[in-house]
Amino acid sequence: MGDEAVQSTNDDASQCKRFAVQKGYWKDPYIQYLVRSGDRRAPEINRGYFARVRGIKVLLDQFLEKTKCSCQVVNFGAGFDTLFWKLKDENKLPDIIVDFDFRAVTSRKCQYVKVRPPLLDQVKAVSGSEAVQIENAELHSPKYHIMWADLRNTSQIESKLRGIDNFDFSKPTVFITECVLVYLQPDKSSELIKWAAESFANSVFINYEQVHMSDKFGQVMVSNLRGRRCELEGIAPCQDLDTQKLRFVSNGFDDAVALEMGEVYRYLPADEVHRVERLEFLDETELLNQLLQHYCLCWAWKDKDQIVTEAVIAL
Amino acid sequence: MADYSDLDRQIEQLRKCEIIKESEVKALCAKAREILVEESNVQRVDAPVTVCGDIHGQFYDLKSYSSHGFYLCQVGGDVPDTNYLFMGDFVDRGFYSVETFLLLLALKVRYPDRITLIRGNHESRQITQVYGFYDECLRKYGSITVWRYCTEIFDYLSLSAIIDGKIFCVHGGLSPSIATLDQIRMIDRKQEVPHDGPMCDLLWSDPEDTQGWGVSPRGAGYLFGSDVVSQFNADNNIDMICRAHQLVIEGYKWHFNETVLTVWSAPNYCYRCGNVAAIFELDEHLMKDFTIFEAAPQAVRGKPAKRPQPDYFL
Repeated sequence: MGDEAVQSTNDDASQCKRFAVQKGYWKDPYIQYLVRSGDRRAPEINRGYFARVRGIKVLLDQFLEKTKCSCQVVNFGAGFDTLFWKLKDENKLPDIIVDFDFRAVTSRKCQYVKVRPPLLDQVKAVSGSEAVQIENAELHSPKYHIMWADLRNTSQIESKLRGIDNFDFSKPTVFITECVLVYLQPDKSSELIKWAAESFANSVFINYEQVHMSDKFGQVMVSNLRGRRCELEGIAPCQDLDTQKLRFVSNGFDDAVALEMGEVYRYLPADEVHRVERLEFLDETELLNQLLQHYCLCWAWKDKDQIVTEAVIAL
Repeated sequence: MADYSDLDRQIEQLRKCEIIKESEVKALCAKAREILVEESNVQRVDAPVTVCGDIHGQFYDLKSYSSHGFYLCQVGGDVPDTNYLFMGDFVDRGFYSVETFLLLLALKVRYPDRITLIRGNHESRQITQVYGFYDECLRKYGSITVWRYCTEIFDYLSLSAIIDGKIFCVHGGLSPSIATLDQIRMIDRKQEVPHDGPMCDLLWSDPEDTQGWGVSPRGAGYLFGSDVVSQFNADNNIDMICRAHQLVIEGYKWHFNETVLTVWSAPNYCYRCGNVAAIFELDEHLMKDFTIFEAAPQAVRGKPAKRPQPDYFL
């Protein structure tokens, strides 16, 4: 399988998000500068992305609130995620946000930031007198870094993080993986999780990806994605909610919670859910249910100093 | 005797999953309109008949790898040897809505007494702009003219059918505004599917394990309970209601002590759902049988070989 096929999943996800934003599912004034508008997507796809983006944000917001933004965010396989700009607009920027992805992806993202003032100006705005450096497919600024790394190589990740002046391994840190681990072989994703658990005393790991993959729907998904040369190499821990939790607990995290996205959807703010459900007719509710049953949000924590647990126990 | 040579050639072309010319679509729709306008809102159908649920443009699951042209019709027998009733949702979602609908329409014009088409909730201007048929027409013809011709014909499709006076067939289900078949016969159907009211409900409602009426999560139509069905069937002297509209992983599903049946005929719906499909076969004595079928194997899909890329969260 090609890393290229995995990289192209970023384009697909970004286009889906842009389409959903255009339709009004959530606000993101920045994604239009990172991805061209693509094909129309069906309403259940838009709603599913809404649940994903909103679910992760609910968890992240609690973490930011609990730590009063005195924390760090490391976004693995961040792709064209606009998290930095969103948090900046909300006045919720943590001390540092680091995006990691393949060089081919960070190269494009850095280029867009460089040439599109709506993106660059926001990075500059929080950089004080320091310059925003964009070179070698990386972006460096006091608050925001975009760096390339191979997620299968934790020593590369560690040395890149150590290269950031004010990055602090003892600070509360949240890791985000949005449909990322499933593309890594299980021993490689375990290595990454284990590295995160061992390197940070107070951290939360938020993982969104597939679950219940051994049924017929899962088999069809594996075969369809294989048709695009995109291999789900890390499907073994996506067996069920327990295997999702176990991968964190057995690799050094104190504990973990995993919820099917159908359940996450029910916990999202009722007024927002009500609003998005009126945006587009759902011609067949079963299609949405089936998708939501096959994705989950799992979050694990390691909380030596009792800083983060309380904030993330409940969604 | 009418000259069918043009029509037969178009049918052969469509069976090969090749689109016909825009001018041919226009002429076909004009002929179809003459036939459909004469049909009742509760079209009478005689057994034996094979009843199909949603197709949704999954042409290769409809098309055969044999000379018959339809996969579904190979499973169920070809037109005109087999008498067919299709309960709507011919278009959207699948990648061959144009070919699917035009082939069914051409067969309707060629063999009007051997194939009955009734309207589904996707045979609508509004819905096809969201779920794919509009984009597909634009992509394949370079303009929306064909979409216009097709959606105009949608307005003429019958709303329901009754087999031997005993089995009521409709795409979605019942409506709180409708107690009798005669009330359905009164509807002026030649319009876009309304957002509410009896015509909307017939195309959008679902049975639900409950009593009375409920709010539909789809945002249109109603949920109807077993008591509603008992009353309707008794008042109209019918044995059962046959409908489509809901994905059933096993292809078909009985509800309310076999008084309502859901038939689903799009295997591996959206190329993603992993379901099997079914067709419902009634013999001349209304003896019931089902044929279950899976998606046509990739190998038979032939040209155009472009593999469908269903959407996931990646």
